[in-house]
Amino acid sequence: MTTFLTYTVLGLVLGAVYSIAASGLVLTYNTSGIFNFAHGAQAMFGTFLYWHFTQVWNWPTWLGLIAVIGVAGPVMGAALHALIMKGLRGTADVTKIIVTVAVLLGTVYLAQWIWNPDEARTIDMFFGAGAKVTLAGVTVRYHEIVCLVAAVAIAALLRVLFTRSRAGVVMRGSVDDPDLLRLNGHDPERAAMLSWALGSTLAVLAGVLVVPISGGAMDANMLTLLVIDAFAAAMFGRLRSLPRTFAGAMVLGLTVTYVLAYLPSAGTFTGNLRVSLPMIILFVVLVVLPQDRLRGAAVRTRERYRVPSVRSAAVWGAVLIAVVYLYSLLLPDAGVTAFALGMTFAIVALSLTVLTGYAGELNLAPLSFGAIGTIVAFHFGVTGEGLAARLNVQGVLLGVLVAAVVGGLVALPALRLRGLYLALATMAFGVFLSNMVLRDTTEHEWFGQRFTIFPDGSLVIPPLKAGPLDLRDGTAFLMTATVLFALLGIGLAALRNSGYGRRLAAMKDSPAATAMLGQSLVRLKLSVFMISAGIAGLGGVLMSSAHGTVSQETFTITGSLALLMLVVVAGIGYISGALFGGLIAGVGSAVLVSTFNDLALEHESMSSLYTAVGQLVLVGTALVGMGVGRNPSGFVHDVAEAYRSLRAAKPVLYGGGAAGAVLYVLALTDVIGTWTFAIAALCVLMLLPVIGKSVLEEKGRRETPLELLGIDEPYTDELRARLDRELGLPATVRKGGAGVPA
Amino acid sequence: MTEPLLELSGVKAGYGAIEVLHGVDLALRPGTLLALLGPNGGGKSTAMRVIAGLHPATGGEVRYAGRTVNGISAQDAARLGICSIPEGRGVFPNLTVRENLWAATGTGARLKDMEEKAYGRFPILGKRRDQLAGSLSGGEQQMLALSRALGTDPAVLLLDELSMGLAPKIVSEMYETVAELVAGGLSVLVAEQFARAVLPIADSAALMLHGRIAATGTPDEIEDRLAGDYLGG
Repeated sequence: MTTFLTYTVLGLVLGAVYSIAASGLVLTYNTSGIFNFAHGAQAMFGTFLYWHFTQVWNWPTWLGLIAVIGVAGPVMGAALHALIMKGLRGTADVTKIIVTVAVLLGTVYLAQWIWNPDEARTIDMFFGAGAKVTLAGVTVRYHEIVCLVAAVAIAALLRVLFTRSRAGVVMRGSVDDPDLLRLNGHDPERAAMLSWALGSTLAVLAGVLVVPISGGAMDANMLTLLVIDAFAAAMFGRLRSLPRTFAGAMVLGLTVTYVLAYLPSAGTFTGNLRVSLPMIILFVVLVVLPQDRLRGAAVRTRERYRVPSVRSAAVWGAVLIAVVYLYSLLLPDAGVTAFALGMTFAIVALSLTVLTGYAGELNLAPLSFGAIGTIVAFHFGVTGEGLAARLNVQGVLLGVLVAAVVGGLVALPALRLRGLYLALATMAFGVFLSNMVLRDTTEHEWFGQRFTIFPDGSLVIPPLKAGPLDLRDGTAFLMTATVLFALLGIGLAALRNSGYGRRLAAMKDSPAATAMLGQSLVRLKLSVFMISAGIAGLGGVLMSSAHGTVSQETFTITGSLALLMLVVVAGIGYISGALFGGLIAGVGSAVLVSTFNDLALEHESMSSLYTAVGQLVLVGTALVGMGVGRNPSGFVHDVAEAYRSLRAAKPVLYGGGAAGAVLYVLALTDVIGTWTFAIAALCVLMLLPVIGKSVLEEKGRRETPLELLGIDEPYTDELRARLDRELGLPATVRKGGAGVPA
Repeated sequence: MTEPLLELSGVKAGYGAIEVLHGVDLALRPGTLLALLGPNGGGKSTAMRVIAGLHPATGGEVRYAGRTVNGISAQDAARLGICSIPEGRGVFPNLTVRENLWAATGTGARLKDMEEKAYGRFPILGKRRDQLAGSLSGGEQQMLALSRALGTDPAVLLLDELSMGLAPKIVSEMYETVAELVAGGLSVLVAEQFARAVLPIADSAALMLHGRIAATGTPDEIEDRLAGDYLGG
């Protein structure tokens, strides 16, 4: 009995912390309509600040608390709102998600830059771990009492704020209709900023409270994910009801604690289950709770994509293969291997283009489907031993098939879900997979077969061999991946131009209207999910093979989120967006960071500068993600639009092509280095539209035909006089052009 | 004639590159009801949004009681006594009736007075005070929206498409309330597609076509022109 009570108290304390974190989440969601994925990162950052104040600067506990909860938390929230979140009104769900994901990644990178993750840090309990009371045989620490009291007080205060104060009512109104709030004499931005400040403060408080009760050790990634567990609690209240969120948090805390207490502790199962339990609960809650009905009106958003024709996709596919081949000639072997890895990421990214760009559905865990493909290919597709080991085609195909089926299975319960809810369900699946399946290193016996899903925590995936094609050779691998990407890209363009593609686009714009036209939403969603998961599986198998050895670390949710973010930045509606996003995610930042680290090692005097620049690259990618709010269609869209206008300026295009060819020849003959070539070629690519524009403008100024004057500009007296003059009308000729004929 | 309380002179406005209002002139005299009529897409709603401060004017002048207020924010306009009820339903669907009235006190009214006036004029709202506004019927929602005009004691009331989606009986009830407000000294500008609903209580009317005021005059004069202009004659 005492054991039970002890665990119950522990569970309630954990639930209390979850409820504080979750209520902050509900608060910001209700006032701004943005589900803040960065909530955990804010908690993490505040907790590190608290550690820095109290441990490094030796401030007393109360001063440290005031500094982080009273100052840093609110300032962080208000700044987030003023700089980033304010610009997100009227954007698609995926844009909102990506921007907060970018904040999450940026905050984690920043924290790891400031506080070296290799050093151990701990936070003590309030009043020390020894301060405790014993009630009915149960020992309760003061810190735990503080957690419980804080949770109850915050729940009560928020309830009062939301229902008994005008400020709270205005906050709730601001998500419905900010314009109407203005007409009522309120400032919706002030209400939203207040709620972000409050939400951020609650996140920081939860972070400071949770670290000591979960062991005391601080790790930026762990801490961020710990607060993400609170998503499940928030979902109990469907992101609206605070009392239900509170109850959900308690259920979550108790379940997690009981699992740890009463399930057998042998093997890795219980530990893994305890870690992934919040995500399992999140998935179940999402699927079971009643959902919003289909929205009738079309969703108007700021994203705009052009649809390519199959012919142009084929031409560009051929161009891509040629360019990649020519470029691979310049690269050293290591470079070719890295490039091939990037190309496999681009294939995974294609799964997002069809799913999110074409069909408007969301998947936050594309790499998880890649992991499934990898596991299947490892178990069923490897022949030979050691260096002679090869992956066969059947194994890859089976991996793709299983990934597609699992994609369908995950999507099936989630079919009713839309937008954010679907995104959270896929995220829950991704975290569950990497915590349960990819950590499952114990031996199982199913149907008389003994096997281990993930032996030794890592899998060795050999290169593919299909007939005469052996991918051990780096260039062969790169070209195969490129050709596959091009073929898939052409296939997707054909898909988008087919009747099926138009049905997908219709579903994206208005599910209700699509259903009314007699389309089966279930069939559409299920099929597009399976296609997407299959592509992700294919890309995943190739990616693992390019890596050589993969572990749970390869398929983390952070990796998936970073990939998704970069694809959205590049333009998720475009096949080229998948190419650039995948390449940057797969190699771009890794190459840059390692380059700067190498530089740091080589030049000791400058090492701190180079290390800092390397870290800046990471934070910078996240900053780019935050910029999505301003330009939700992606940069590929802008570049394509710029080049579209260049069609009228053929000489500029030819000049650009010639410059590229000269650069290439120089690089091939080793006159300039590979890096110089890459940077110069990029400059030409980016500068061309600018030059073209100025050329076009000059032309345009000279060539407005007489009869079109005054159509897109005000029809002034001066203009009229000029027309008369040019037409040689006597009224103005006599008066010298200055007068106005009556 | 008295000085106009609200005046537009040569006001231009648009969305992006597309100009919707090409120089609109309007004047609302104190204590009168001006009906702004015209078919769909004529720019009535944009004109209303410009007056309320929700949309910037790109040219011309907006004047409140002779003072130029171009670029005023909507919340400042509301505090100066412009009460605007936008197209559709001017209520917060996820707040209760009482909370909606509470949100309406942003211009300085007191919740108690607000509730008294609203429930006194529309008893049905009193019965539903704790119900979510989104779950009210269309007529009840419009009553709630109109309650803001009753309780906040504004100088000018802007009504955009009060009749939209409502039964004719409710529309005439609504306009009766509006007529009472005008009799009590309030100045009202009504944008309306269905001229018949508002002309009987209007003091003057203006006809808006393609972003310009095509005609102004007494309700009778405008009514005679309506058929031809609506049908593109």
